[in-house]
Amino acid sequence: MNNFKFWKLSIKELRGSFNEFKIVITSIFLGIFIISAVGSLSENLKFEINNQRSQLLGGSFELSTTYQKFPQKIKKWLEVNGKVAEVIELRTMLSSNKNLINKRRLVELKAVDENWPLIGSVSITPNQTLNQTINNTNVNGVLIDKNVKNQLSLDLGDTLDLGDSRIVIKGIIKKEPDRMFSFATFGSRVLLSIKTLQKTNLIVPGSLVKYKIKFIPNKNNINLSYLNKLVEGTNITVRGVNSSTNNFNNFIERTSLFISMVGLITLLISGIGISNGVKGYIIKKIKNIAILKSLGAKNMQVFLIYLFQVMVIFLLSIIPALLAGISIPFILSPIISSELFDTFQATIFLKPIIISFSFGLIVCLLFTIIPISSTYEIKPIQLIRHAAHNIHNESSKKIKIFIFFLICFLSYLIVIMTNDIKLSAYIFTSIFVSFMILSTLTNIYFYILKKINFKIGSLSEFVRKSIISKNSFSKTIVVSFSIGLSLLISLNIIEESLDNKISKTINQEAPNHFLIDIQPNQIDTINKLASSSKDILFLNSQPMLRGRITEINDIKVENLKVNKDVEWVLKRDRAFSWTNERPKNSKLISGEWWKKDYNGPLLVSMGDKIAKGMNVKIGDNIRFNILGRNFEATIYNTREIIWENMNINFIFVLSESSLTNAPHTWIASTTSENKEINNNFVEKVVTTFSNISSISIEESYKAIKSILNLLIIIINSIALITLLSGVIVLTGILDVSKKDKLYEIAIFKILGASPKKISLLWLYEYLIIGLMASLISLLIGCLVSFILLYFVFNVDFYVNYLTLIILSFIVPIVITVFSFFKMIKLVLSKPLQVLRAHNH
Amino acid sequence: MNNNSKKHIIELENVHVSLKNNVETVNILKGINLKILKDNSISVIGESGAGKSTLAMTIAGLELISKGKIFFKGVAIHDLEEDELANYRSKNVGIIFQSFNLLPSMTALENVNLPNQISGVLIDDKKGIELLKSVGLKKRLNHYPHQLSGGEQQRVAIARSLISSPEIIIADEPTGNLDKRNSEEVMKLIFKLQSDFASTLILVTHDETIAKQCNKIIKLDNGLIVKDE
Ligand SMILES: Nc1ncnc2c1ncn2[C@@H]1O[C@H](COP(=O)(O)OP(=O)(O)OP(=O)(O)O)[C@@H](O)[C@H]1O
Ligand SMILES: [Mg+2]
Repeated sequence: MNNFKFWKLSIKELRGSFNEFKIVITSIFLGIFIISAVGSLSENLKFEINNQRSQLLGGSFELSTTYQKFPQKIKKWLEVNGKVAEVIELRTMLSSNKNLINKRRLVELKAVDENWPLIGSVSITPNQTLNQTINNTNVNGVLIDKNVKNQLSLDLGDTLDLGDSRIVIKGIIKKEPDRMFSFATFGSRVLLSIKTLQKTNLIVPGSLVKYKIKFIPNKNNINLSYLNKLVEGTNITVRGVNSSTNNFNNFIERTSLFISMVGLITLLISGIGISNGVKGYIIKKIKNIAILKSLGAKNMQVFLIYLFQVMVIFLLSIIPALLAGISIPFILSPIISSELFDTFQATIFLKPIIISFSFGLIVCLLFTIIPISSTYEIKPIQLIRHAAHNIHNESSKKIKIFIFFLICFLSYLIVIMTNDIKLSAYIFTSIFVSFMILSTLTNIYFYILKKINFKIGSLSEFVRKSIISKNSFSKTIVVSFSIGLSLLISLNIIEESLDNKISKTINQEAPNHFLIDIQPNQIDTINKLASSSKDILFLNSQPMLRGRITEINDIKVENLKVNKDVEWVLKRDRAFSWTNERPKNSKLISGEWWKKDYNGPLLVSMGDKIAKGMNVKIGDNIRFNILGRNFEATIYNTREIIWENMNINFIFVLSESSLTNAPHTWIASTTSENKEINNNFVEKVVTTFSNISSISIEESYKAIKSILNLLIIIINSIALITLLSGVIVLTGILDVSKKDKLYEIAIFKILGASPKKISLLWLYEYLIIGLMASLISLLIGCLVSFILLYFVFNVDFYVNYLTLIILSFIVPIVITVFSFFKMIKLVLSKPLQVLRAHNH
Repeated sequence: MNNNSKKHIIELENVHVSLKNNVETVNILKGINLKILKDNSISVIGESGAGKSTLAMTIAGLELISKGKIFFKGVAIHDLEEDELANYRSKNVGIIFQSFNLLPSMTALENVNLPNQISGVLIDDKKGIELLKSVGLKKRLNHYPHQLSGGEQQRVAIARSLISSPEIIIADEPTGNLDKRNSEEVMKLIFKLQSDFASTLILVTHDETIAKQCNKIIKLDNGLIVKDE
């Protein structure tokens, strides 16, 4: 092998065979395209977010406080030392009486001063400046976003009541520089000036208001720790450009990870297509391989020749896939710059290219090594003897070791992509286990088919023989369609079970409405109103205040190690409530409730799971900051919190203390069998007290549902694509077995079978194969979804049989129709011609 | 091994070939003893199914024997590994098949060069062109097999069998797929080149008149040599 230039020989031998690789090329292209497109897009977005961090934050720093205005001293200091813009955010009800139809919406008010925005600009339709709109305080101009416009059917120039004043809609916000992204923020937006806000008198003591100052220092030495020292002892939080935990970045990472996983699975599935394509190719090359061997070619040389060919094909298909993938950010850049970033400029990133290339290479090698190594079994003596065209896949030890390394490398790549060993292990085992179940089930089916017998000469017997015959690819068809269909079925079951669970909760357990921002002096009136109602109306009300946890057992929160799933409790403001009476429906897990007349040092009741996640127990101390004051409470008991039933749940419930006298608000939920009575009650409350806002659970559910639906559509269409990649495999198999089928038909015809009968035979055969795939997928889909629902989602298994039946029919129909159209030409061919052609 | 091994290029001692199919074992060669002198030509004749091709392929190292011994210039061939057999073939044996067996995606010249390309000794096209000229295909160098007639294809195969200057040429009914005129031409060519290149020829044939042109005729029947003259 001294001077053996296998690549030259390989290329020469490849001439004129490109057509054979159609399936392989499509399979590789599809998988790589998805992975590289998603990778490039997310890298681009992350890059842009990093570039625009300060614009998204609204300044170099953001200082924020809840309930209380900034101390004048700090505000002054900031104004002297840099550029400052002030923002006030609160929720309120906005109601419109347009066309005599009363519509109400909970909206987010964002009031800004004249300096806002420090970075970037607002774009408004119709094109105007802030000075022409909200800063023109004579007319109380406001800007609204599209949501508000649609929900309340508002138009430019409409006037509305907001608190004590009338506001005029001056324009629609197209883009707001420091609003993260419309779908990441809750609620609909109304933008106005701080001066206009003051005129509304909406801010009363206790109302939940967020004060923010965006700050760009004019000295370099003013950094995060400097500012943190400045605000020490207050309840002000400071966020810097770098310290801001970027929700959107997380979101992108998660989403792209998810889609990449789907791409990878698509690639793994198309691996079956690749493998089949190469298998068929090698079968067609048996004679050439025997010739090469008769001329003295060694097994390894032949192996290299064909491996090289596959690698050439791989490169030919991966290069356009990568090009298409990296061009996606460029193609989408007009949408991105109109919706997300003004200055978006798509770039090419190397990382997604390398990752998708490696994935493609590994998967391609993994799935072609075995068919290529089957060339070892081809003997040159076959040139003078018609050995059966049957390739045994007895791969040698070396190749087994190679495959083992490929799998290791593949898992390594998945770890790189997911950045999470646990998740990768989970993904890998579940893929592996699913494949095992799949192949076991398929083998069981074929075993049964081999064992049963129909009457000799009957249609069923013929079809049975044809399906189990050694040269038939029916097993491959079953496997490749089952993968996509199992995915689709389990997704649908999970989706329907979740939906079932949610609507059950909404209809039975959850309250109908929440009333928020109730002033303490209003709660008695509301309680009276509720009890005076003729029908049974259950009102549950609790006081609340927001605050932050600062220390647990004398350890600062920043230095605390807690479980990942409870980190959110410590990150932001939390709502605290207090009562000496044990809340109705609450179930204590440990400890007991304090006495009704308790008046000692502060005690706290905590959510049990949260307490466990934070590694705290009864007797531990929690220090928190409410309204700038520090309190310390001792954990006295833990409660079970059931989030799903959507009742008022506080993680922290304190014993009554001096806190009771601090300005605070109440939150209440209403539940009634009679929807109308409930609505009337809520309507009465919010018209009597303009500061109170109501939230309808049903409408929130609808909003969540519409987002959920979008996600479901995306997931389902990807699963459907996966299913369709089975068609690629089918095409390949039909192509490879065309000759045999043709021969079969010819013999049938000579034996006197009509084209109609032959077609019927085929339809029958493929229908059986399709039904087998459906049955296997049903079993796997139900199993996988059951396990996920039971162990991950904790939701009851719920199946809509109609969907299941519809899904089960997709595959048999696709397979039969598709193969029918592919084969109809063959059925109509002339028998003698075929026989003659076959013998040559 | 005896002293004659220098003169005998090929020696077969009690060679058996049996093939297993699904149900039974078929004995194709049942104890062949044969010595072939260097630079000689020898023809193998016999009924269809007598085992002629099998014998030829055994000598070519394509058929694995189940019993007995084969020596090439005194070196045991029978216990060589698959890859060593390939090596033996590419250095010492040129094979001409009844059905040409050219690679369809390669030109005449590329087909001729193939054995040297495989053994890694191909430097240029000179020798291949030379050989194609000597089989009368000067103008067909860059034609593909499907552009050539049967006789022309077989002549390409002859040129290919000679490219590595093998000491043995094995031809299994080289004229079986050709008409009379082409057959005569091809046979003439084979004999001429055999003497030009001074190699040993093993020729399997049905045709007695062709067989008689060889130094020695062997007749096979049912896996055994029945006549050796
Ligand atoms: N795969 C096989 N399994 C079993 N027996 C086989 C196989 N291939 C060939 N045979 C048998 O081996 C015997 C010898 O075959 P071989 O091809 O050597 O005959 P031959 O003399 O070359 O015949 P022909 O003149 O027809 O080419 C034949 O009887 C044949 O039936
Ligand atoms: Mg023969």
